[in-house]
Amino acid sequence: MSGTAAEKIASRLAELWQTSRPTILERMLALHTAEEALAANPLDQEARDRGREAAHKLSGVLGIFGLPQGSELASALEETLKSPEPLLPSDLATLKTRIAELDAVIAAKSPQ
Amino acid sequence: MARKILIIDDEEDIREVAALSLETVAGWDVLVAGSGAAGIAKARENRPDAILLDVMMPGMDGPTTFRELRAIPETSGIPVILLTAKVQAADQKRFSDLGVASVMFKPFDPLILAREIAQVLGWQEA
Repeated sequence: MSGTAAEKIASRLAELWQTSRPTILERMLALHTAEEALAANPLDQEARDRGREAAHKLSGVLGIFGLPQGSELASALEETLKSPEPLLPSDLATLKTRIAELDAVIAAKSPQ
Repeated sequence: MARKILIIDDEEDIREVAALSLETVAGWDVLVAGSGAAGIAKARENRPDAILLDVMMPGMDGPTTFRELRAIPETSGIPVILLTAKVQAADQKRFSDLGVASVMFKPFDPLILAREIAQVLGWQEA
């Protein structure tokens, strides 16, 4: 592959990161909202589903923008939220920690 | 003649990066659709050489879209690659059992996406 193709993709990805940030931050907000709702009521299935969907979307897109650790964290969040098991206090603590870590990963890249 | 690929994904970022990748790296012609229904319409009209199909979409999801594509004579023979975020082994088996050509994972590397597609479809280029 030519360097030009790689450069063109890298340049466009940098532009896209700027336009995608609001959507990514909206998904982070959805994760925070879900985590807070689940802390209040661990059986809130609607909150769990909303959080799982946000995590799924983040896991698919963050790595494309050069944040593989973000995709891994989002994937781990998705797995926790997807599990049919009731959320234990330790699960809720892990959710909170991972969401904070994900915030930090995204903040470290923004703005480019 | 350049290959023609249809990307069906509800996420604009994913559509754009995948299209950029396939056009820039492989020189393929790319069509995009933001929903299963729109994708089926484009597939019928344009008869792409392959379809890259997101699994989790609102409304008609990827597996449902795939089954619809298989039921339509004009699109039944088009190879379909499911594109999904990392999933558990059970989900991967469920997707493979649908009869798709392959299951590929997000996040993908835009620099090698075309090569991976060509590889799973047995295409020599890219």
